[in-house]
Amino acid sequence: MTAARTRLLDPEVGRSLSALSAAAKKGLGDPVLAELVMIRASQLNHCAFCLDMHLTLARENGVDEDRLGLLAAWEEAEDRYDGRQRAALALTEAMTVLTDGFVPDEVYDRAAKHFDDGELAHLIGLITAINSWNRLMVARRIPPGGYTP
Amino acid sequence: MTTHTDDPKSQQHAAEVPVRLNWSQHAPEVYKAMMRLETAARRGMDPTLYELVKIRASQLNHCAFCLDMHTKDALAAGESVGRIVQLAAWEESRHFYTEKELAAIELTEAVTVLTDGFVPDEVYDKAAKHFDEPELAQLIAAITTINAWNRFGVTCRMTPGHYTPGQHA
Repeated sequence: MTAARTRLLDPEVGRSLSALSAAAKKGLGDPVLAELVMIRASQLNHCAFCLDMHLTLARENGVDEDRLGLLAAWEEAEDRYDGRQRAALALTEAMTVLTDGFVPDEVYDRAAKHFDDGELAHLIGLITAINSWNRLMVARRIPPGGYTP
Repeated sequence: MTTHTDDPKSQQHAAEVPVRLNWSQHAPEVYKAMMRLETAARRGMDPTLYELVKIRASQLNHCAFCLDMHTKDALAAGESVGRIVQLAAWEESRHFYTEKELAAIELTEAVTVLTDGFVPDEVYDKAAKHFDEPELAQLIAAITTINAWNRFGVTCRMTPGHYTPGQHA
């Protein structure tokens, strides 16, 4: 098993980020969608720890293997995900790959059609939170498998 | 000779684009958690280095609002125009920065552009030579936090140009 580079994390940084995730998830109010979004961001950011954790949570929330397996190619498997999930996944991708450009109007407007302002603000919060966890775990190379429900 | 100004009311400039979403009003608990994260990540960080990290991540993530804030904060704290301007090309202007700052800037880039790959051992090891373990954990937290602000700024298209240094202090 790969060793972590460091497991050190200021506990208050961890607690703040947990508060961010919890507030965003609560405001979004859709645990299945939340897990799909967090898995997709973790795929793009190559975060093994977060993938392991959120695949486990998604299964617990009743997401079937078919939808988990096809998530990396969701645009080509459109019938597996509803319009709201697809809009959220497109926003997740745009917000995760900021270094390639901005969040296109088309992607933002599509999300704004499926989510009201409150839901959208929390969805943006959730995508930001998982991107933050991805950075903390990848930079410190925290190995997968450490998560127990 | 044309006089250039960053006054948004200047007739020479394009119109200001409206903000997409006032996210902090629609998700106050999320905003509160972000402010708490900011306070935690800032602890123990050298303020000069902290601004350099924030500016470089905001350049890579194209966050205009964050660039406006952190270049102004850096200038107000006595940072030189030269070091701010050269930051986008730091690999060719290494002599503007200390080796410790360069190691932190390099780590900032690797942790910001995760989608291109992992954080290379070489980059991590260089940072680990200049920062002890608690300092390095704090630096990683700081890079993570500005990346988070960048995501809110860009996605909600927060408007740059109106920040006054010390406004959030």
